[in-house]
Amino acid sequence: MDRIKTTEIAIIGAGPAGLAAAIEATKARARATLIDENARPGGQLFKQIHKFFGSQAHGAGVRGFQIGQELCAEAEKLGVELLLNTTVYGLFEGRVLGLMNEHKTMSLKAEKIIIATGATENALPFPGWTLPGVMTAGAAQTMMNIHRVLPGKRVLMVGGGNVGLIVAYQLMQAGAELIALVEAASQIGGYQVHAAKLERAGAKILTSHSIKEARGKNHVESAVIAKLNPGWQPIEGTEREFEVDTICLSVGLTPLAEIALMAGCEFRYAKERGGHVPVLDEDMQTTLSGIYVAGDAAGVDEASIAMEEGRIAGIAAAESLGYIESKQAKILKAESKNRLFELKQVEHSDLSRPVPTQAGRRRGEDGGAKYFRSESPPPDFMECNDSIAALHSPIPIIECTQYIPCNPCETSCPSHAIIVGKPITNLPKLDPDKCTGCGICIACCPGLAIVLLDMTFSDTESLVTIPYEYLPMPRVSDEVDAVNRYGETLCKAKVIRIRNPKSFAKTALVSIAVPKQVAIEVKGIMIV
Amino acid sequence: MLICRCEEITEEEIIEAIRTGARSIAGIRRRTRAGMGLCQGRTCRRLLAGILARETGIPSDDILSETRRPPLRPLKLNIL
Ligand SMILES: Cc1cc2nc3c(=O)[nH]c(=O)nc-3n(C[C@H](O)[C@H](O)[C@H](O)COP(=O)(O)OP(=O)(O)OC[C@H]3O[C@@H](n4cnc5c(N)ncnc54)[C@H](O)[C@@H]3O)c2cc1C
Ligand code: SF4
Ligand code: SF4
Ligand code: FES
Repeated sequence: MDRIKTTEIAIIGAGPAGLAAAIEATKARARATLIDENARPGGQLFKQIHKFFGSQAHGAGVRGFQIGQELCAEAEKLGVELLLNTTVYGLFEGRVLGLMNEHKTMSLKAEKIIIATGATENALPFPGWTLPGVMTAGAAQTMMNIHRVLPGKRVLMVGGGNVGLIVAYQLMQAGAELIALVEAASQIGGYQVHAAKLERAGAKILTSHSIKEARGKNHVESAVIAKLNPGWQPIEGTEREFEVDTICLSVGLTPLAEIALMAGCEFRYAKERGGHVPVLDEDMQTTLSGIYVAGDAAGVDEASIAMEEGRIAGIAAAESLGYIESKQAKILKAESKNRLFELKQVEHSDLSRPVPTQAGRRRGEDGGAKYFRSESPPPDFMECNDSIAALHSPIPIIECTQYIPCNPCETSCPSHAIIVGKPITNLPKLDPDKCTGCGICIACCPGLAIVLLDMTFSDTESLVTIPYEYLPMPRVSDEVDAVNRYGETLCKAKVIRIRNPKSFAKTALVSIAVPKQVAIEVKGIMIV
Repeated sequence: MLICRCEEITEEEIIEAIRTGARSIAGIRRRTRAGMGLCQGRTCRRLLAGILARETGIPSDDILSETRRPPLRPLKLNIL
């Protein structure tokens, strides 16, 4: 039979939002119980092996799972009460939660409830979508990054948001071949820096395209894609069939706030945050007093936002139980709110800066992602192209052209030569006079958007230093292909130097010697 | 084409349910069992709403905001 336990603040979901809420509540000496259905806390973070974008205050530049480890360590140190392998299956009268684990059901009566249950991946039906080999991007990520099993060798990714772009990159890192990434909209929704990683590796990004059918007998053997008209309907005659064994779907996330819905909290529709989301006040409190929602459950966003929302909910819940004086709580919440405001600037600025095309080239729809929304001129740092040839010292070339909330380049530079400033969505600006050419920013940039160009290497050759995150690592004096932004080979190049210290957290810096004339175009290497 | 994977309910069966009067996800669920499987509709809810919206013209936003009841996850009988 049910055992009724009690706590002061029950927090459902131990992702970044739930962990942050538990940490704040426990710091205030409230009794918090954190519940998660998984065997360990961390939520989404434990699948994220890439370096996060965001501000340094939220661990940007650090790989996702490490941010998770840090949060868990802090929660553990504070003595947060953890109920793992435990699922909340319902919320009943009097703020009683129904819990279950493998063996039993339990009830937990709480004075305050914080719902931080994250989001769920959307499905996309098409003929053949139930064939083995069709899976969500999240499932592919769990297989690779948690269970260390490669989901397939030849992959089609459906959806060009950040999740699709990042998981596609991780699949390539794990050794799969990305046959193509299709995106129904006329441009990809994710960040340009993430798309650029795929393009540099030669992957096809097809906008205004989607999957029509998966074919195969007992498993996916091929995928049929088609071009879409502006109404997102397939255009007949544009079908193409690719041989693939895996189709990954990353077509959006839906906030998972069922528990709040069930409790009778009011919801509103917010398309930009993934669907129906609970109506919340300043404290992340729902329309029912004592029930809070934070993180992706409150609307799909980012880990940094989830953490701040969790903090606010944790502080507010502790405050309403009398553990924090309202004056103090106000100060604490204001800190989080200011950071949130800054992070959300991105929604108000336009993401429409075009990618600078040094070679004066604009790619057609099949040749690469289209980020262009306007014909405005490329950012300043590319305008110095002609003068680059005359440079007397190594200089970072930063290809980061969208207003995204990100600043590790700024915070990592020991010489303060890169300024992002406030808001954090500003484009990075380099002060060449302060730069020493150390290369640290290259390894810290989660977008892998920076290369270091040294035109002084020899009379005929330049040294280009690029960030590299694939295996096998090249060795010094190996011959590799130097490639441009689209993964096209420019020339053969000799590896001169490799730097891979611990502080770079597995983003190695590979320096190659290339003829001076092509140096400006070199964006990556391929091992032949 | 299968829409509810857990209960193996096809698009045709769902359209049939709408033809016989289903006007909400709950209505489709009662008639077909779509949405009552292991995932408790996490996978197919949006798809059901999409089909219902297409067939009836009810905005899918209205359809999706339906109230939910416990359990969110299937309970094994032996642990109750
Ligand atoms: C591929 C990918 C890349 C990303 N990259 C970045 C990035 O670079 N920078 C960035 O800032 N953000 C990034 N994000 C987003 C970030 O991971 C999420 O925004 C963040 O994890 C949301 O945190 P959360 O705490 O709200 O939810 P989650 O991390 O999803 O945690 C929710 C937890 O609740 C548990 N749970 C749910 N329901 C129940 C229940 N009923 N009972 C018990 N437990 C339950 C879940 O199992 C889960 O552990 C990325 C996301 C993805 C998928
Ligand atoms: S190369 Fe070094 S000094 Fe120059 S901007 Fe990057 S981190 Fe700063
Ligand atoms: S250049 Fe700076 S702002 Fe742009 S992705 Fe890299 S670290 Fe972030
Ligand atoms: S897919 Fe319909 S209940 Fe799981």
